[in-house]
Amino acid sequence: MRHILSEEYDILIARSVTYAQRTRKALERAGISCRVFRAPMELSNTGCAYAVRLPTGNLREALEVLRRENLNPARAFLYRNHEYLEAAL
Amino acid sequence: MIWLDSAATSFQKPPEVKEAVLSAMERMSTPGRGAYPAAALAAETALRCREEIAELFYLDNPERVIFTMNATHALNIAIKSLTPPGGRAVISGYEHNAVTRPLKALGARIFVADAPLFQEAAAIAAFEKLITPDIDVVICNHVSNVFGFIQPIEAIAALCNKTGKPLIIDASQSAGMIDINIKKLNPAFIAMPGHKGLYGPQGTGVLLCGDINNNKNIRTLIEGGTGSQSLSQDMPEFLPDRLESGTHNMPGIAGLLEGVKYVRKRSPAAICGTERRLALMASDALREMSDVQVFSLTGLRDQTGVVSFRVAGMDTEEIGDALAEQGIAVRAGLHCAPLAHKSAGTLDTGTVRISFSAFNTSEEVLKFLTALKMILKNRG
Repeated sequence: MRHILSEEYDILIARSVTYAQRTRKALERAGISCRVFRAPMELSNTGCAYAVRLPTGNLREALEVLRRENLNPARAFLYRNHEYLEAAL
Repeated sequence: MIWLDSAATSFQKPPEVKEAVLSAMERMSTPGRGAYPAAALAAETALRCREEIAELFYLDNPERVIFTMNATHALNIAIKSLTPPGGRAVISGYEHNAVTRPLKALGARIFVADAPLFQEAAAIAAFEKLITPDIDVVICNHVSNVFGFIQPIEAIAALCNKTGKPLIIDASQSAGMIDINIKKLNPAFIAMPGHKGLYGPQGTGVLLCGDINNNKNIRTLIEGGTGSQSLSQDMPEFLPDRLESGTHNMPGIAGLLEGVKYVRKRSPAAICGTERRLALMASDALREMSDVQVFSLTGLRDQTGVVSFRVAGMDTEEIGDALAEQGIAVRAGLHCAPLAHKSAGTLDTGTVRISFSAFNTSEEVLKFLTALKMILKNRG
């Protein structure tokens, strides 16, 4: 499937909207701008899901911040060239 | 914002609803807690709301109108009253997780009355086959929250009455839009939200209790203070207290009263007529777009103002997100109803759902269609 956005970004899948909001707040406190949105169907293996979108180049730092805050994304992806590539957590 | 997600909640309300909420916050406490004016006004308002709802649904006794937090809360009370742990339930193929999850939590054996979308006769036949003497409860949503499919609830209710099996009707997508006569249907319960077709605030729901043999058979989900029979450590047997413990959401109930009055003044048929006209306009146009699959029959037969569609090769959530960027609110994905999607063959993709209210306009439909055409044109 070819996805519609041309802007590249990184994405963290959260287990719920509440978890996604907590993730966003933790990242913003650390100075990483991001936003919560509905995860594309293709990326969720549990039906509907929420996700946090980050600008590219911040994923490693974001994961470190979240580990310190005891927040664990379910999965992470890199959106490049209209495709999602899963990243190791 | 163009609100096409009224199946989730009716975002636009009559102005009287907001005024009533604010007024309640300034002037009311909660019923059953004192004799002072604020408590008396709350009690009077709650009773008036029960009475309006009872009249809308042809219920004789307003005490059998129970206030809940939402339809899910109402359904949980109903399902857990009638389904013993490990019990046997017949449900339609279009039920919401608010029905299937409580059943799963009870360890119930679930029998799905499978029928293709918009096939009334097949649905009736499926229910008839499954309602056997060993069934504990039958549950059916009146209208699918995903596809707007109006299920043949009168025929299903007749089957239940003939076989003596209790019926729970999920009226989440039909209350305020379709005339529902609890006397004629004779179900055990009808559950509905206050914040969709009844135009009340979020945080409100209603459970109508039918002719249950004994109120003691209605299991309580929550026990606590009711402002009645306080010395007893058992929940009261009488309604509504048995099912309403704790402080009431009086701003919500006051707002719901105004919403129900609005519905009764306009009539459910008129409101549904408006919604269907807009849904038909949208679905006819969607059908003309290439790669778009619309889930409806010609003339929107057996359907309310809820329409689902999907686009070949496009993620439904991405379509929803792209529309949101343009100020158009729709809902995409599985709509908390994977069973409905499984029945319709859309489980792998989900759908994009548009759903209307009494406040939508033709201009908004045109703007939605224009926005969608741009999204389709600009896809990679």
